[in-house]
Amino acid sequence: MQGGNTLLHHRLARAPDRDTITTTRGDALRTAALAAGGAIAAVTAVGAAERLNAAPSPEQDVQVLNLLLLVERVEVAFYEAAIENAGLTQELQEYAETVLSHEQEHVSYLENALGDKAAPAPQYDPSGVTGDPDVFAKTAARLEDIAVGAYNGQAANVTPGAFLAAARIVSVEARHAAWIRSIRDADPAPDAVDVPYSERRVMRELRAIGLAS
Amino acid sequence: MSDDRLNLLELDVDGALAEAHHGLTRAGFIVAAAGAAVAGLAATTGEARAAIPASDQDVLNYALVLEYLQAAFYTEAERAKALSGRPAAAAKVVGAVERAHVQAFRDLLGKKAVGRPHFDFRGVTESNEAFLKTAVAFEDLAVAAYKGQARRIRSRAVLTSALGIHTVEARHAAWMRYLNGNLPAADAYDLPRTRPQINEIVASTRFVVDRPQSASKRTPRYTG
Repeated sequence: MQGGNTLLHHRLARAPDRDTITTTRGDALRTAALAAGGAIAAVTAVGAAERLNAAPSPEQDVQVLNLLLLVERVEVAFYEAAIENAGLTQELQEYAETVLSHEQEHVSYLENALGDKAAPAPQYDPSGVTGDPDVFAKTAARLEDIAVGAYNGQAANVTPGAFLAAARIVSVEARHAAWIRSIRDADPAPDAVDVPYSERRVMRELRAIGLAS
Repeated sequence: MSDDRLNLLELDVDGALAEAHHGLTRAGFIVAAAGAAVAGLAATTGEARAAIPASDQDVLNYALVLEYLQAAFYTEAERAKALSGRPAAAAKVVGAVERAHVQAFRDLLGKKAVGRPHFDFRGVTESNEAFLKTAVAFEDLAVAAYKGQARRIRSRAVLTSALGIHTVEARHAAWMRYLNGNLPAADAYDLPRTRPQINEIVASTRFVVDRPQSASKRTPRYTG
């Protein structure tokens, strides 16, 4: 267990850093390990976490990162199916393909960070909401809002290494949310502060949009 | 919420901060195990009286200056009445949100809040094209600035609030990029910027000035 947790920390240290912004693939992530490790050492406390088990710990990071991995995997499955089946317009197609590539990178990153502690991928068929462009767009808007809420809701529960990695992802999810809302002519930023979602709420909302059982 | 103001310590719609709040209202919220200086601070309205670490106050004041900058920019754009169509509508909505951020930080900081700087936006609020280009730059900058500071925040409540604002700035960034014809989300990861980097970029705009002045052709200019 101890060895596994040390490994997790090591993997988290491979957070994408500024030098790798244009090539944030697996091997580029690894090159950032030293820089990110230095940043982690400079951080002594993120905050007291009472929401999950206790203060942030490597064990709790596994739990949190698996929740975030689940959300990212749902996103990948959703966009893959939609690109295949939804008959997307050009603007939605560009959105879906761009966002899919981001979510695939996020999945790879989180899977790599978790190693053998990564939970099995959920087996859920998203075809109910990926066969029609309007249903797709509406569902995508809600899904991206859920992703933002999931990351924001867990930020204070993780150790600095996981925090730094998640912080680089969450604002991209927010950009996706505003992008699809713009396409739909909905308010891209309806609240002054985005609300953090608990794990329970994340799962409830995924079920509500037909993307979890 | 009271007086329709955004209360950052009451951002608890889903109960995610319930225990942190309980700590805040019960005994003051102290998280620094190593005994970092904790300054007493009368926070916001209602019964909440928060003890926010001095280092968090510093981060909040830094964020406040960025919010002043954005609020002044959008408010001037709205008042100048030179924008049209979707950019005009966006300026109005985003301006209201940035002003809410300013007020929330000022409420949170109380007497510790820094004052509003003077701004001169040099006419960039007076055409859709210049406005959008500047807005994209401001919002991408704000995202990077919040991300750069987030890990310094010790208070759990302040951290969660700051991150919730961070993602709103990212939404604004994507929105302005969309209106400007840029890809709203260009990369899989957004990267942080340090304070010196942010300060250098802000200084390079020469939007922050020593005393009230304006190169703007239109009045009234927004002075807060």
